[in-house]
Amino acid sequence: MPAADFQGSPASHTSRSFLSLRRDQVHSMDSNDSTNQSQGLETFQRHVADFLADLSSASSGDLLSLSWVQKLLDVFLVCQEEFRALLSGKKEELNRQPMNRLVNEYFDRSVKALDVCNAIRDGIEQIRQWQMQLEILLCALDGQKSLGEGQFRRAKRALIDLAIGMLDEKESNSVVSQRNRSFGRSGVNRENRSMENHRSLSWSVSRSWSAARQLQAIGNNIIAPRPNEILATNGLAVAAYTMNYVLYFVIWALVAAIPCQDRGLQTHFHVARQFIWAGPILSLHEKILEESKKRDRRNSTGLLREIHEIEKCARHMNALIDSVNLPLNDEKEDEVRQRVKEVKIVYEAIKESLNPMERQVREVFHRIVRSRTECLDSMGRASTS
Amino acid sequence: MEPPEYEAAAFKSAEKIILRWDSTASEDARERMIFDGDRYEINSYLQAVDDVQRSIESTTLSDDQNKASSAIQIAMARLEDEFRNILLANANPIEIDALLDINVLNLNQSSLRTDSSSGDFSEENLNESGLQDLGAIDQSRRSSASYRSMLSIRELDLVPMEIVTDLRSIAERMISAGYVRECVQVYGSVRKSVVESSFRRLGIEKLSIGDIQRLEWEVLEVKIRRWIKAAKACVRILFASEKRLTELIFEGLGSATDDACFMETVKGPAIQLFNFAEAISISRRSPEKLFKILDLHDALFELLADVEVVFSSRSAESIRVQAEEILSRLAEAARGILSEFENAVLREPSKVPVPGGTVHPLTRYVMNYISLISDYKETLFELIVSKPVTGSRYSEDLTTPDMDFGEVEGQIPLALHLIWIIVILQFNVEGKSKHYRDTSLVHLFVMNNVHYIVQKIKGSPELREMIGDFYLKKLTGKVRQAATSYQRATWVRVLHCLREEGLHVTGSFSAGVSRSVLRERFKAFNAMFEEVHRTQATWTHIESGRHPENYIKYSVEDLENAVLDFFEGNPVSQLSRRRSG
Repeated sequence: MPAADFQGSPASHTSRSFLSLRRDQVHSMDSNDSTNQSQGLETFQRHVADFLADLSSASSGDLLSLSWVQKLLDVFLVCQEEFRALLSGKKEELNRQPMNRLVNEYFDRSVKALDVCNAIRDGIEQIRQWQMQLEILLCALDGQKSLGEGQFRRAKRALIDLAIGMLDEKESNSVVSQRNRSFGRSGVNRENRSMENHRSLSWSVSRSWSAARQLQAIGNNIIAPRPNEILATNGLAVAAYTMNYVLYFVIWALVAAIPCQDRGLQTHFHVARQFIWAGPILSLHEKILEESKKRDRRNSTGLLREIHEIEKCARHMNALIDSVNLPLNDEKEDEVRQRVKEVKIVYEAIKESLNPMERQVREVFHRIVRSRTECLDSMGRASTS
Repeated sequence: MEPPEYEAAAFKSAEKIILRWDSTASEDARERMIFDGDRYEINSYLQAVDDVQRSIESTTLSDDQNKASSAIQIAMARLEDEFRNILLANANPIEIDALLDINVLNLNQSSLRTDSSSGDFSEENLNESGLQDLGAIDQSRRSSASYRSMLSIRELDLVPMEIVTDLRSIAERMISAGYVRECVQVYGSVRKSVVESSFRRLGIEKLSIGDIQRLEWEVLEVKIRRWIKAAKACVRILFASEKRLTELIFEGLGSATDDACFMETVKGPAIQLFNFAEAISISRRSPEKLFKILDLHDALFELLADVEVVFSSRSAESIRVQAEEILSRLAEAARGILSEFENAVLREPSKVPVPGGTVHPLTRYVMNYISLISDYKETLFELIVSKPVTGSRYSEDLTTPDMDFGEVEGQIPLALHLIWIIVILQFNVEGKSKHYRDTSLVHLFVMNNVHYIVQKIKGSPELREMIGDFYLKKLTGKVRQAATSYQRATWVRVLHCLREEGLHVTGSFSAGVSRSVLRERFKAFNAMFEEVHRTQATWTHIESGRHPENYIKYSVEDLENAVLDFFEGNPVSQLSRRRSG
């Protein structure tokens, strides 16, 4: 099925039209003519390079934001479709070596990505829990006629829950004692029950599953095709290599952005430089790695921009509430309303994008499964399980 | 309208009660729980909350507003803790016996098809009358499915009624004070961990797709069987009961809280449950997986009606959708495996001839396989909707037989597939037969194998019905043809030694027989006769039951007589079958 049937929803209008341009070109690649094929291969690589460059050109405020991640997922879907179009109708070639092996390898890799998609769903659910806390915060402080002790205490409780909810699992035990100090009026009762809250948000994966290991398995052994292989496969080997890297990068970036069990980003990108998309992919990789090393992001549960925003405005709000003396003077009240507005912005952004993004992740899952099934079936070999 | 002083007084006393129970302010308040105490204490607290809430709605002075809203917040924080405490005190996972309710697990008898072992859970057949009642309802599948669903869903009391009442009394107040979110969070977090511990008791594992791919299929078969039972218990009892609990506590209180609480509780676990079936549905195709995949498909198909009932709200859409997707992937997998199987039968490459021309393991495997397929006729009837991809009589591809669909007009697609499988099995068998150097073995092999096929078909009424008389006749004809060829190939060779020509000395008929030629001929005859007799004695001609003599025209006795005839001057060509039939 051509790319026309998915409803990706990148936030910005420009990105939507950018990708829709590409969709038309996917149609033209379903041809068996050999000149068309080499053109198709070139186009595919150029598209990949362009998409990655576009993602890379995001401002520091946009990089790894929810809308950026949505664009990333759309990019994967389009590239996957293009790749599939390149392989369609090439049954003969796919049944010969080395293409047979390369295609099987790609689909094996893509199956590993499925587990990551499922883990990301968990992460999205976790962010949804934080969204709920923000909602309580807003309920307490936003649009109230008067801000009294009741509202502030309610807000404080929500902030404590949020803080505990955002702790990295590894850290949570050591940090609890530190958190004690900042509890103030709310007492021990509060902390205990919030820890229960946090613990019950268990991952749906087993304790031993690791996103870092999964990434390593996906990125393992992606070897650039040799000239004789490229010749023997009429260039399709290059398409496979390209798609392998697109898959690897997208999954890596997802793990970087969204909370999941045992996130580790120290994986290698040994891209052969001669490919036109090598530059953009490496620069993106670099940018994201840099972000992960920043002091205030190092211990974050995920590099998603909005997670950072939540951390920041929660911190501000906490400090503010702690400094509040009732009754509020006008200045203080203004400050509160200002901070509330910050929270509202993050809250709205999350509320708008989480559900669509979850659907997109699911769509990625489906596309991978469908294209693997179609391709392996058409290759017609009795497969070993 | 009460006079303001009265109201102020009511507020003051209510406020006092609430402040007394402020856990941030007093040790005593922290150590005791209101709802653990006596009814009077509980009621007066709840009354106090109501009074304060009322005064928020009526008073206009901002000072009082602040005091009231502060009091409400303290009360809400307290009620939240009470709510959690009550839930935790009643967080017992369902007893495993209740989960093994046989009526729920075995509503569809066909699910017992391949479950010959007892497994972890005990199984018994649903009583006959129950099934007959179902059959008597002459409605469309949908409505009979929802009727079945009503029968199969079993809502248990997870929490005693008086506890439910207490919970509801708290929820009511939290929701009307605008604290619904806190309420949902607390409820969800406690109940979800109860569901998770029930999952552990049911043996539902957290396996990733990668884990499942690495497991041997035999191991997976056991897990699938276990999953089917567990999934039925989860959807029909566990989830249904949780849903009922949220309805009892939250229904009618506004903000669709019952639904929100239900989803908080079960969404994660439900996804985890279905992830297993999803992983199975995307595993690599191979023929031995067909039947377990069909079992899984059938179980999920049956369960779907219940899933739609239990997960009926809008927010539960993703779960319904996931279940439907998995079902259609399982159907796809079944179709793919059948194609895979057909391909494998056609291309099965072994060239090593079976000693003695007996039934080839491939023939046995394929016939057993399609007998099993005919057991799954009902399901496959639904799933297999297109004709098999066959060769064409117009193509020059000699590696694929063709099938004339004209002769099997009106047969269901599944039957066409089975006929096709037999056609290609026969084709493969004939191909293999050519690897025998001994011509008689070539025919014996074909004979034995096609006969086996015929026997298997005749032995199963479902199979016979689907293969149909036309092809059955073709097959039996093939057996006869092979038998004739076999007979000729073996004995005619032997008898050839006794031919008349060349025996007489050139010249006249009346001249004597050349003694030397005769002697040579006898020698050859004896040798060949002995050899053929000896080797054929070691071959099994027909599978159990059949009499060899119907296929072997000449016995040793016959031949002895023939030789005698020869010497007595009777024409050898008058050898005939001495026995009747």
